[in-house]
Amino acid sequence: MPKPLKELLDPRQAAESVASTQVWKSIFRHGYPDSPRNRALTMISNVFLHLHPIRMKKHGLRLRYTWCMGGLTFFLFLIETITGLLLMFYYRPTPEYAHYDMQYLREDVPVGITREIHRWAAHAMVITVWLHMFRVFLTGSYKPPREFNWGIGVFLLVFTLLLSFTGYLLPWDQLAIWAITVGSNMARATPFLGHEGPGASLLKIGDLNLVHAGDDAKFGLLGGRFVGAPALLRFYVLHCVGFPLLLATLIAVHFWRVRRDGGISGPA
Amino acid sequence: MADAKAAGTETTRRGALAWLLGAWGLFGGACAVGAGAMGRFLFPNVSFDPPQTFKAGYTSDFEVGKVDERFKAKYGVWIVRNDEEIYVLSTTCTHLGCQPNYLEAEAKIKCPCHGSGFKPTGINFEGPAPRPLERFRIVLAEDGQILVDKTKKFQYELGQWDQPEAFLKV
Amino acid sequence: MGFLRDLVNAIFTGPTLGPVLIFTISVGGVLALLRWYRVLTRPKVAGAALVAAVVAFALSLGDHNFRLIVAKPDNVPIVMLFFLVGFFTWLALRQAALNDERIEQGKPPREAEESEKSLTWPDLVYIEFLSTVFVTAALLLWSILLKAPLEPPSNPTETPNPSKAPWYFLGLQEMLVYYDPWMAGVVLPSMIIVGLIAVPFIDPNSKGSGYYTLKERKFSIGMFLFGFVSLWCTMIILGTFLRGPNWNFFGPFQRWDPHLLFPLVNVDLSEYVWVHWLGVGKPNSILLREMPGFLAVIAYVVLVPPLFAKRLIPVDIAAKIRGSGLPKALGEVLAAPFAAKAFFAEMYQRLGFVRYNVLMLLVLSMMSLPIKMVLRWTINLKYIVSIPEYFFNI
Repeated sequence: MPKPLKELLDPRQAAESVASTQVWKSIFRHGYPDSPRNRALTMISNVFLHLHPIRMKKHGLRLRYTWCMGGLTFFLFLIETITGLLLMFYYRPTPEYAHYDMQYLREDVPVGITREIHRWAAHAMVITVWLHMFRVFLTGSYKPPREFNWGIGVFLLVFTLLLSFTGYLLPWDQLAIWAITVGSNMARATPFLGHEGPGASLLKIGDLNLVHAGDDAKFGLLGGRFVGAPALLRFYVLHCVGFPLLLATLIAVHFWRVRRDGGISGPA
Repeated sequence: MADAKAAGTETTRRGALAWLLGAWGLFGGACAVGAGAMGRFLFPNVSFDPPQTFKAGYTSDFEVGKVDERFKAKYGVWIVRNDEEIYVLSTTCTHLGCQPNYLEAEAKIKCPCHGSGFKPTGINFEGPAPRPLERFRIVLAEDGQILVDKTKKFQYELGQWDQPEAFLKV
Repeated sequence: MGFLRDLVNAIFTGPTLGPVLIFTISVGGVLALLRWYRVLTRPKVAGAALVAAVVAFALSLGDHNFRLIVAKPDNVPIVMLFFLVGFFTWLALRQAALNDERIEQGKPPREAEESEKSLTWPDLVYIEFLSTVFVTAALLLWSILLKAPLEPPSNPTETPNPSKAPWYFLGLQEMLVYYDPWMAGVVLPSMIIVGLIAVPFIDPNSKGSGYYTLKERKFSIGMFLFGFVSLWCTMIILGTFLRGPNWNFFGPFQRWDPHLLFPLVNVDLSEYVWVHWLGVGKPNSILLREMPGFLAVIAYVVLVPPLFAKRLIPVDIAAKIRGSGLPKALGEVLAAPFAAKAFFAEMYQRLGFVRYNVLMLLVLSMMSLPIKMVLRWTINLKYIVSIPEYFFNI
């Protein structure tokens, strides 16, 4: 047998010869992670893995301490991004088509569970984000030097809820419009800014009301007096672009500060 | 130094501060205008809500003592005629904006969301609704038809139901 | 079995007894956990509670009406929330109990014993990988088993009965029963957000950072459990499973009958004071009419914090009551308010003026919800201040 062929058939030697090619070396700048040095290099030479430190205290690896809820929230956010992108190929945010497209997605598009994954992962994300906050509170991990990052976390919680709330309208069924009607009518009651909020009737010039159903906070939210076509479009844009961008930015800040503030919390 | 003073170009502490304040003020003002413009962008001048004024036919089209439901689906109003007057009642619950139903047998208006109940006059008598249903402006148009104008509302708790145009004498 | 079901239904039907019972159980449960957490979190006790909950749930699933509501696809996450919050509360308090025992013996918490470092490759990366695989598998299974709901196309002229907000906002919707929309929908949610952000700044306790403990942070953890478990999660479960047509209260095994009517006659405070107690009519002036309500609100918000902060009477009344030879339980109950007052006075010393007042404002806002609930259940109070003319109701 010629030597090169023999090398290829031996898995160990084959792996070595692949790992010595220029292509492989251009991607992985370190050897197989079997030594502490190469393991450290694995973590710092990969842009995604280098979110993590090279070493960490052992208690922070224990699931009974971390519950893994922050990481799972981020993972569910990624799932939402991917399935959401797929759903956007079929969904049109207008009252004429929205509900029809939902049925189409369910009945005529292959892998008819894409919308299911999106919806259940959204519900799960709300739960994991609550449980993450619960864990961080119970281990006192908001205490100095992590006060600022706790605040970022509160905003992440709020935007997760808003993301879910804006998505609730998109199926354009009875459940959707009445949930959003009840929800957005609270904006109507904002002090001074909503036309049925306290103080709004005091803001007038002569006989002219400055805050009315055609220009108050609810109108700005819905783009109309009722939950109609403009509201659907607004919620769609916020759901698919606005809030995800905001959330991604805040997630970056959150992760960065976790590292800057000394990694996962632990006893002093 | 002396030349600069003579030419009026010397930089004094006070002058620099004024410049600084002016420049930052200008920048802050420009940012505020930008933010305001973005906010204003969300409030279109024309919105495609259903028309706010419409003609509802002649007074003789309405029976005495009946709550007319013909205009509920399209315009969100009930038109009610009693012995003396015709008035226009909003179909939006004053609690959280659900659409109540008129139950003819019990002669009451009942909201499915949180159980508020109203009399056909619009007065709230049960459930969480904080105030009576609103009434809208009603006048006779030039051709003798009833003209309903939803841009002007009349609230009972402000004593506005007695005002002219809150009802139509018949 | 049938008798038990009818009994539960009979208790829960109606506007008062059901919510009273649920909140008593959830508040009492949190208080009991705080007091006896070392016993209650022992694996045998907690395991028995879990088995009891699962068995009760499984038996209830045999009931048609219960299954109709619980097995609704959109309600499945709330059943999950119920079990998950219970499990993680146990997990945290169990570790707190173990750590507190160690701290009493002068040893460091368990977390400190594992402070040697470990490489994140492969240890951390594998844990993350496995948990994402597990969650993905669970999610796929969930998605295959349950269809995402799709109701008939929207119809702006026909409101479904009942109309509910998304489940994570049902706590807010439940608040709407007791508060005007501007309070329940705007002010109180904003207070929750601001209050959460303020937490690190009003809790100067340097102990309990980075490990589970209850003994060293009883007040802050107690407040959080009260707000998150007893109010927020309980209101979600209540709003999802027990609020039916016309927003009436239904038993868990009861048919949601849209024709069931409970006359709700709620009375404003002004009517109580002017009409019922003073026997005169309501005054015409809004300010005078609502004066009792304004005074009550101002007293609550402005007077309570300083009253609690100062030791007006130098004697320790709580200790006197406890030592007075009354039966123990009665003595504890009578002493509790005085002990609480002494507790807050001591807290004022520790927190300083600004922190103390911010904390009190937040605690009072949170407590205003159960207070308003109790007033509604007991004396049918609708609003304390009621000025519908300016949409200002409290």
